[in-house]
Amino acid sequence: MDTNIIYNGFYKLIGITGEPGVLAMTVAILIGIVVVLAVVLLHVAYATYFERKVIGHMQLRLGPMRVGPHGLLQPIADGLKLFFKEDIFPATDFKTVFRLAPIYTLFAALSSLAAIPFVSTFYIANINVGILYIFAISAVSTYGIIMAGWASKSKYAFLGGLRSAAQLISYEVAMGLSLVGVMIMAGSLNFIEIVEAQQTHWYGMYLIPQFLGFFVFAIAAFAETNRVPFDLPEAESELVAGYFAEYSGMRFSLFFLGEYVAMIVMSSMSVLCFFGGWTLPPFLTNAIPALNMIPGIFIFIGKVYFHIFVFYWIRATLPRYRYDYLMRLGWKVLIPLALVNIVITSVIKYLA
Amino acid sequence: MTLQQFVNRVFLIDIIKGMALTLKMMFRHAVTRQYPDEVRDPIPSFRGRHAFVRDQKTGKEKCIMCMKCSQICPSQCIHIEKGKREDGKMYLAKFEIESLRCIFCGYCVEVCPVCALDLTEEHRYSSYTREECLFTRERLLSNWDSLAAKWKEDTYFNKFWRPDGIDSSKMPKAKRELAPIPLRVAAAPPAEIATAKPAAEAKPEETAQPAPPAEKPAAEEKGKETAQ
Repeated sequence: MDTNIIYNGFYKLIGITGEPGVLAMTVAILIGIVVVLAVVLLHVAYATYFERKVIGHMQLRLGPMRVGPHGLLQPIADGLKLFFKEDIFPATDFKTVFRLAPIYTLFAALSSLAAIPFVSTFYIANINVGILYIFAISAVSTYGIIMAGWASKSKYAFLGGLRSAAQLISYEVAMGLSLVGVMIMAGSLNFIEIVEAQQTHWYGMYLIPQFLGFFVFAIAAFAETNRVPFDLPEAESELVAGYFAEYSGMRFSLFFLGEYVAMIVMSSMSVLCFFGGWTLPPFLTNAIPALNMIPGIFIFIGKVYFHIFVFYWIRATLPRYRYDYLMRLGWKVLIPLALVNIVITSVIKYLA
Repeated sequence: MTLQQFVNRVFLIDIIKGMALTLKMMFRHAVTRQYPDEVRDPIPSFRGRHAFVRDQKTGKEKCIMCMKCSQICPSQCIHIEKGKREDGKMYLAKFEIESLRCIFCGYCVEVCPVCALDLTEEHRYSSYTREECLFTRERLLSNWDSLAAKWKEDTYFNKFWRPDGIDSSKMPKAKRELAPIPLRVAAAPPAEIATAKPAAEAKPEETAQPAPPAEKPAAEEKGKETAQ
């Protein structure tokens, strides 16, 4: 029997004891998907607000202030505006591809959420190769960007798409290698087991022994989500808006959603693999037992929000990398660092 | 590469410094002014909406129809027409400023020998029609009244009436001797203007404040009196 509270609650509600049937399981999973999507998309809406506020204050501005108190209704106003905007098509021969690209991007981003456990008792699917699944899906998300760039029939969009392809492929390698250290230490590819393995150490976070891996992972995550300082695919000052220069209205907002969901997924992955997920370090909970009372989901969300804040913080601070620097950093610095990390981790693991 | 450079590069010291700066800035007070809610006081002698100085003695404009302003105007937006009364005296038949064409250079204010024109500090006067931006004589006088009502100090003096760098002995007498204009003195009732003014021009918030029946001595001792 599953430990998932949503699934179990549903089974209890309709009176199933023992092994649930296929139909009941499907309905239970659909309910889980709806809950996760609703919560995540709402968070995405307010992540844009949070971003504008954080960056605004870092630049001594106020950010959105006029729509609602302190601009709190701004994301809703933005969403409505995008929803009702005219849908413009460029003079392209690939209308189907053009239509599919944003859907594909959002699909890739959202399906990554399926494997992420938010707490040990709340997830959509608890699969034993969770890390590999998310790698696979984030590799697939490149296609959406390439399709958009190609079908837009615009030089800027095409360049953006090409850059994105090169960038994502390069950093995929570094990111995959950076997590191998975590896999070696935890002895598992399942997120829940990785988090539980972190609890066996007094520090409760793989961030400390795996700082090298975390460094590589963090930089690769920025590149993977196309965020500043690696936002070359959509570089505003060079490529107008890069791969989505030709998009407008709802299709544009799908790309936007995809980008923010990818950011949340990357933050969640970092939280699960390096920050101990929904748990606090044992040395803290031993010192202050009251901390055990905090529900795991709040700890998880707090850590994810910290990561998202760092994304914004970096965006407010750093300029964009030059393209050849980006490639040099990826292949000549990050991948060797990740390999060194793997070697050190496995030697220590073997000796210990 | 020195050791210092090497350490800086490996531990990303410069990036960390930059991040610390942005984080510090985040907790500083924003410099934004919430414009429609928080309006900043205009800078003295800001060149804004045009006005005719209302003469304390006559309650009318001071213009003497010398045409200097309309000649010097680079965008040629000042239109003046003279009229002749039966007794042979000239009078100002028409004075219009197309404020939409004005570039607010202030030449008309500087050139006016009697300091009749003014570019006031009022800068919020946009409107939905072109007609409202065409300042006729009556509108120019009511602009002055609305400035006088809002002005925080008791006297008003525009520094462009007496431009810097010109020897004041070479200026016309009225310009040379102009003292800051007292605003709190009740002006004489503008009898002619009130009848001549078409009803369509009246705007609710800009109507000239009704001049109370003025004490005539106010005109003589205008510098001293600061009534109300």
